[in-house]
Amino acid sequence: MRLQPILLGIGFAILIGMSGATAWLVQHATEDARLVNHSVVVQGKLSNVLLNVRRAESGQRGYLFTARPAYLEDFTPAETLATQLVAEVRALTADNPLRQRELDQIAASIAAKFAEMKRVMAFRAAGEEERARVEVLAGQGRRLMNTVREQIDAAIADEAQLLNERGLQSRNTDQLLLAVTLLGAAFIIIIGAVSISLVQRSTRKAEIARQELEGTNNNLERIVQFRTADLTEANNEIQRFAYIVSHDLRSPLVNIMGFTSELETLRADIFDRIATLTAEIAALNGQAAEAESKTEQLGADFDEAIRFIKSSIGNMDRLINAVLKLSREGRRQFHPQTVDMRALLDQIAQTVSHRTMELGARLDIDALPQVESDQLALEQIFANLIDNALKYRRSDVPLHIRVHGRVNANQAIYEVEDNGRGIDAGDHQRVFELFRRSGKQDSPGEGIGLAHVRALVRRLGGTMELKSELGQGSTFTVILPLQWSVNARNAA
Amino acid sequence: MNSKLSERPVEIVMIEDDDGHARLIEKNIRRAGVNNPITPFASGTEGINYLFGADGSGLVNKGRPLLVLLDLNLPDMTGVEILGRIKTNEHLKRIPVVVLTTTDDAIEIQRCYDLGCNVYITKPVNYDSFAHAIRQLGLFFSVIQVPAPD
Repeated sequence: MRLQPILLGIGFAILIGMSGATAWLVQHATEDARLVNHSVVVQGKLSNVLLNVRRAESGQRGYLFTARPAYLEDFTPAETLATQLVAEVRALTADNPLRQRELDQIAASIAAKFAEMKRVMAFRAAGEEERARVEVLAGQGRRLMNTVREQIDAAIADEAQLLNERGLQSRNTDQLLLAVTLLGAAFIIIIGAVSISLVQRSTRKAEIARQELEGTNNNLERIVQFRTADLTEANNEIQRFAYIVSHDLRSPLVNIMGFTSELETLRADIFDRIATLTAEIAALNGQAAEAESKTEQLGADFDEAIRFIKSSIGNMDRLINAVLKLSREGRRQFHPQTVDMRALLDQIAQTVSHRTMELGARLDIDALPQVESDQLALEQIFANLIDNALKYRRSDVPLHIRVHGRVNANQAIYEVEDNGRGIDAGDHQRVFELFRRSGKQDSPGEGIGLAHVRALVRRLGGTMELKSELGQGSTFTVILPLQWSVNARNAA
Repeated sequence: MNSKLSERPVEIVMIEDDDGHARLIEKNIRRAGVNNPITPFASGTEGINYLFGADGSGLVNKGRPLLVLLDLNLPDMTGVEILGRIKTNEHLKRIPVVVLTTTDDAIEIQRCYDLGCNVYITKPVNYDSFAHAIRQLGLFFSVIQVPAPD
């Protein structure tokens, strides 16, 4: 995977290199072509120089024969042209010292040749034909002409060699250009191939990883299912346990209570008997008043004991009933339906209206989102929360309860907010525990309301939160899934 | 011929493992003015042995006026099993069986009536209600008809 960018970088580097090399080589080829062209031009001009010298010579010959000035018309411009051409070639080959030296010689030879031709023509012009003939016969003109021709031929040959070299170089450059292009193309093809294979390999790896992930996911789901089943089983176990324990505790309690009642009914008989006996003894001893007060004391003690036993039994009975109720609630099947929460809360408000009126309390219910859940469970949950808010109010502040809600993603969030006495931060968890209560214990209750509420919320697939500060009021938040899910029933 | 329970020597067979409950039941039945003999058994096995006899056929109690007061939670067997055996026994099937138990499970109640139980009463948790219920049961005993012997 990490090779990919490196390969891409190399590919780009090669492309850039190739482009640079190609640009350089193309420029080089242009230069080569220019140089080749230059050599050809130089050769042409040199040939022209020779041509003009020859033209001047043929003009001279004609003049020598005929002495007609028309031949001078050929001669005179030829000299100018030849000199001019030599100057042009000199300018063209300024960078070539050898050529400059050759041109020096050529220029000298041409000058000598023209000087010779003019001298001979001067003889003819003066009418000294014989002298001119002798001069021509002497052959100096011919020698000079030969020298000029040889020198120009040599220069042309030199230029031809240069041309040859330059042609060769140009071909080399072209070949190099081709080679670089081919090499670059080959590299790019190779890198392309490697990239494709790498991509394929990484795709394969990704596919394998994906399959592994899928496997793990499936596995995870199975594990979650197992765990959920375990939890459900454990939960059912607890429910059964609670049910059995509460049942089995009830039996002895019935006995304790029953026989306490039996004792109570016996009390009258026992104390009548004691009173009779004491009276008899007192009559014998003459201390009636004292004995009577003692008997009364005994009776009071007896009644006190019975009272404590009975009130304890009453407490225990309530606790057992609470556990039984919880365990029964825990086994109740839910019937999910779309619940109009506003109507549900209004109904609860109606039920507690006499109490709110009595307390001068305000109960505000805002617009609430609908939810798909169990109506009865929701009634119990919110009735409990509102009942708590009514119970645990502050005596110095008029009670104000506000119920509001909102939807967040796939959750419905309901908040029951009060300005009551609040719950100490240390007790925030404790209040949800069975038989636990917080703060001043001035209201009757078993301490199962919130435990029951939380158990219900959990079974509905939701969660509960509590924000509260002592003396500032409490906000109980119930978060429920908007849609009923099968899991909600099985879990918790 | 009058065959009201209170006016005939109908024997009440009480199968109840809790001695205290047995005693309280007996006391409260008596308070309702029912004076029939009550034979208590603290386990299912003892009760079965009494009802079905040594040979297990139930022939010993054929035609005898009996009423069974049955608890479902017994240490050695369930009351449901005893109920089933009584109601399928040729000689005992007409004996009125009153189930008196702590369970108020709807399925359990259904099952008992399906098996032929005549009355199903849940023991109230609260003693006062318990005593009251038993006394009412006693009053009920005094007016119910039991089948006449063949």
